[in-house]
Amino acid sequence: MTARNAKEKGSLIQWGIVGLLAWVVPGGGYWILGDRRRATVVGLTIVATFVLGLYVGSIGVVDPVNARYWYAAQIMTSPVVFWVGRCASAGAYTVYGRPYEIGQIYTSIAGLLNLLCIINALYIAHVREAHAQEDSA
Amino acid sequence: MIDGVVSVLASFTKPEQIGTTPQSVLWMLPLTAAIAVVYKATKVHRVVAKPFFKETALLFGSIVAFMAVAALILSAVAWFVNEKLPGLMGY
Repeated sequence: MTARNAKEKGSLIQWGIVGLLAWVVPGGGYWILGDRRRATVVGLTIVATFVLGLYVGSIGVVDPVNARYWYAAQIMTSPVVFWVGRCASAGAYTVYGRPYEIGQIYTSIAGLLNLLCIINALYIAHVREAHAQEDSA
Repeated sequence: MIDGVVSVLASFTKPEQIGTTPQSVLWMLPLTAAIAVVYKATKVHRVVAKPFFKETALLFGSIVAFMAVAALILSAVAWFVNEKLPGLMGY
């Protein structure tokens, strides 16, 4: 393996860790990159939005069976949503009307905001690495 | 202590009572604030409390103002179609 291949592999692993951590804990990607303040702001805001959605509409708004497209957005918040979805999919938490709409919108937007942060954290990691390579060259 | 935890968890298994009223539109405000905060956090070079708060408040205000204008225009169109147009068409 050449030095360049090893470096590329190292970058991919680093991006994978940043992306995974950003998904597992909202704001985690920024945290591992050393941007603690941004991580705190983003993490608290996304978690608060998701929890508010669950509070308004109950955990019934996370429905992996009947609302798959909404679920795809909700799952971007964190893998914890898998567990919430499993609890809710038993059908014991039915919810209709305005609370359902508001809860679903809040939880899905929280997921999409986290997706934005995952992509942004990966971009920052890429830019920093490119700058480091320029400096070392 | 345990009763408190159980009651908090139980509140997540029962939806809140929100009617289809004009006031329910106000639920957009916390969501708009969250979007403004996260979007600005991804855009600014460094998160510094005062300028960050100022920029976020500006974005929040812009979104709310745009939505209010859009709502006014749509209400005017709906009013025209429902109230005036039938008379003009001779119905």
